[in-house]
Amino acid sequence: MTDNTEGHISGKDKLEACSTLKEILQQATEFERTARDFYAELAPKVSKKIRYLVDELVIEEQNHYDLFIDLANDPEVAAQIKQEIITPPSNKRFSDCIQLPDLGDNPDDQTILQYALGREQAAMDQYNSLADSTPEGPLKDVFTFLAQEETEHKNELEKIYYEVVHSGGV
Amino acid sequence: MSIRDLLSPFTAWKYLLKNPVTIPDPLNDRPGSARYRGFHKNDNEKCIGCGTCEAICQNGAIDMLPVKGTATQEGDSGLRPRIDYGRCCWCALCVDVCMTGSLTMSNEYKWVESDPDAFRFTPGVDEKFWDNAELGYQRPEDHRLVEAKRVTMEEMDADTRINSFAEIVNGYSIEQAKLEADRCVACGICIATCPTHMAIPDYIDAVREGNYERGLKLLYETNPFSNVCGRVCTRKCESACASRHEGEPIAIRWLKRHIIDQVPFEKYREIIGEPDAPTGKKVAIIGAGPAGMTAAFDLVRMGHEVVVYEAKAAAGGMTRYGIPEYRLPYDALDRDIELIVSLGVKVHYNTRIGSDIAMAQLEQDFDAVLLAIGLQEGRQTRIPKSEHEKVYRAVDLLDKITSEEAFELPHCAVVIGGGNVAMDIARSLARMQKQQYDQVDVVVTAMEDQQHFMADADEIKEALEEGIIIRDNCGPQGCEIDESGHLIGLKTWKVLSILDENNRFAPTYDDSDETIHACDTVIEAIGQFSDTSLLGEELTEKLEWNRGRIDIDSNGRTSESWLWSAGDCVSGPDVVHAVADGHRVASSINSYISSNESSIDKQS
Repeated sequence: MTDNTEGHISGKDKLEACSTLKEILQQATEFERTARDFYAELAPKVSKKIRYLVDELVIEEQNHYDLFIDLANDPEVAAQIKQEIITPPSNKRFSDCIQLPDLGDNPDDQTILQYALGREQAAMDQYNSLADSTPEGPLKDVFTFLAQEETEHKNELEKIYYEVVHSGGV
Repeated sequence: MSIRDLLSPFTAWKYLLKNPVTIPDPLNDRPGSARYRGFHKNDNEKCIGCGTCEAICQNGAIDMLPVKGTATQEGDSGLRPRIDYGRCCWCALCVDVCMTGSLTMSNEYKWVESDPDAFRFTPGVDEKFWDNAELGYQRPEDHRLVEAKRVTMEEMDADTRINSFAEIVNGYSIEQAKLEADRCVACGICIATCPTHMAIPDYIDAVREGNYERGLKLLYETNPFSNVCGRVCTRKCESACASRHEGEPIAIRWLKRHIIDQVPFEKYREIIGEPDAPTGKKVAIIGAGPAGMTAAFDLVRMGHEVVVYEAKAAAGGMTRYGIPEYRLPYDALDRDIELIVSLGVKVHYNTRIGSDIAMAQLEQDFDAVLLAIGLQEGRQTRIPKSEHEKVYRAVDLLDKITSEEAFELPHCAVVIGGGNVAMDIARSLARMQKQQYDQVDVVVTAMEDQQHFMADADEIKEALEEGIIIRDNCGPQGCEIDESGHLIGLKTWKVLSILDENNRFAPTYDDSDETIHACDTVIEAIGQFSDTSLLGEELTEKLEWNRGRIDIDSNGRTSESWLWSAGDCVSGPDVVHAVADGHRVASSINSYISSNESSIDKQS
C-alpha cells in the first residue's frame, strides 16, 4: 500500500516550504497517504474486535488520496498549478499530522477514533483557511470542496465515536 | 310433490328485471338526533387494534381483522374492527369501552344496499358516506367503563429515604392490587412488546382472582428474574398499554411485584416443578447475570448439566453490582438466583475465565458454551486532565458500594451523564454523603436537555427531590486541577444541539458560555463496554465480529459452532432483554446438543 516517493526527506520539512497550489496539493496528498499507510499498518496490530474501524479509515483515506491524485490531473487545476498561495496559520498543525504518533501496542477503539478525529479537524481547518485566503475563482472552489469533504468525514467520525463510546448509553 | 311445487321457484325469475322495492331515502330529509347511535366510524390513525370493542360486544358483531396498509407495530396490533350489522344492536358499548376514543357512531341511520354482505364492513377503512358526519354518539367525558388513573404506589418521602439504602416503594396491598388489576382490559398488546413475551393479561387476571400461585407459575414460565423485573424492569409493556391513550398505563411492573410478594419463597420450587430427567449433556455459561442465569434456568430444566462461571463473589451481574439497593434490594435478587441454583445449576464464584480457566478448556469439557459477560466496563470521556485519580467511572464506584469496598467519599461530586447509571451513582453518593457528612452535594451534568435525558422520568424526579442538582445542556470540556494537583472542578460548554438532521451525534457548543462546576470528584457515566479479553487472541481472531460486538445469528450463536453469546454484551443493556436473550440461546443450545451435531463437532 505504501507509495513512498518522498525518499528520506521528512514530509514536515517539505510542507513548511510550500506555497504554490502544486505544493499544497503535494502536501495534501502526502497527508492522506501517510494516514492511509498508518492505518493499514495499524490494522493487523489491533484486536479483530475493533479492526473494522481501522479498515474503514484505510478505505476513507484511500478515497481521499485518489481524490487528490485526480485533482492534480484535472486540467482546470493544472492551469492554476503555479499560482502562489499564502500559507495559513493552520499549516503548522496540518503538517504536524504527518508526524505519525505511537498509539501503543494495542490501542483501543476510542484512542483510534480520537486520533482520526484530530487529523480530520486539522485537515478541515487547513482547507478552510486556504479557501478563506484564496480569491474567488476555481482555486477557491477546490479548497472549499476539500474543506467540505474533510468536514463530512469528521462529522461521520464523530457520529461513530458517539455510537462506540456511548454504546450502552445508560 | 306436485308439478307446481317444482316450478314455483322459477317464478321468482320474473322479478329479475324489475326495480327493487327497497329504495334509498324513503323518508326524505329526516336526520338522526345529535347523539344518535347510528353507523360506526373509526379513526384508523387513533385505533390501536386492541380488540376491546370485540371483547365487549354481546352479540359477536365485531371481528378484529388485518387490513391492507396498516402494519403491526409496537403498541398497535395492526388489526381493525369489522362490524356485522346483521348482529349489531347499536348498544354503543364498543364506543364506551374504546381505549383510544377512535370508535364513534355517526347520526346516520339510512343505508340501502342490494348486497347483504356490504353490511359487514370495516369503519375507517371501507369508505362510507357518513365518514365525515359531525353529529352522532361519542363517549361522554364523564362516562368511562375503566378508571383512567392508576392506583398510586406508596413510597418513602425524600427526607426519609435519603438516610438509607432501604427500598423506596412499599408495594401494593391486596386491595390496591385488585383495583389496579381491574383497570386492565386484557387486550394483550403488551405481550408483543415485552421482550420475553410474559403472559401479562393472564397474570393480571390471577391478581384479580387472588390466585397468586397461578400468577407466580405464569411469571416463571417466561421470566426467572421476576423478582428483579418486578422492581426494575424497563417496562416496555407499559409504554404500549392501551390504557395510556386516555389515562395512565396499567402498573404492570408493580402487579408483577405484587404476585412475587404474596407467594412465600418456600413454595416457588413446588409451583415451578422439577427439571426433566438428566440428558448427560453439559453446558458451560460464563457470567451469572440475567442472560446467563436465564439460560441456566431453561437448560437445567431441560435436564442438562449446567455450570456457571462467575468472576464476582455473587451472581446477578449488573443487577447486583450496578443497580443500587434502594431500587433493587439484594434479597429480591437473591431469591431469583437461589431458585435457579436450587434446580441444580452449579455456580463457581470468583472464577475468571481466561485466567483461571481457558476458553479452550471449556470448549473441550462441555457440549456447548455460552458467553454472557455483560457490559461491565465504564467508558471514559478522555477530556483533558480526566486521567486525574479523582475521576472515576460510575460502574466502578457502584461496584465498590455493592462490594462494601472502601473509597474516599467525595464531599462534592460532579457526575457526567444523563442516563440511569448517572442517576444511580448520584443518588447512591447522596445517601452516603447524607449519612457521613449530613449534607448532599452532588451535581449531575449532561449534554441533553432534561426532557431528553435517557434516565427514567421517575429517577430524575426522585433525584431532584433528594437534593441532587441537575445541570443540563452541559458538554464536558476538561477537568480543572489546582497548583497542588487537586481536582477542583469540571469545565463545560453550553450545548446548542446534539443530533443532526439524521438523528446522529453531531454536537455544537457555545464556547463563550463556559461553566466551572466546583467539585473534588468527577464521575463519568457516559456508557459501558464489554471486556472480551477472556477470549484470548486466537479465539478473538477466529470469531466473526460486528462493529465491536461478537457477531451472532438470530439464535445467539457465534461463528464458532460450540459458542453462543447473549445479554448486554451483544444486545445492549436491559434486564428484560437479557432474559429474553437467555431463553433464545437456551433453546438454540438445546437443539444443538440434543441432536448429534455437538458429538460430530467434538469428534472433528
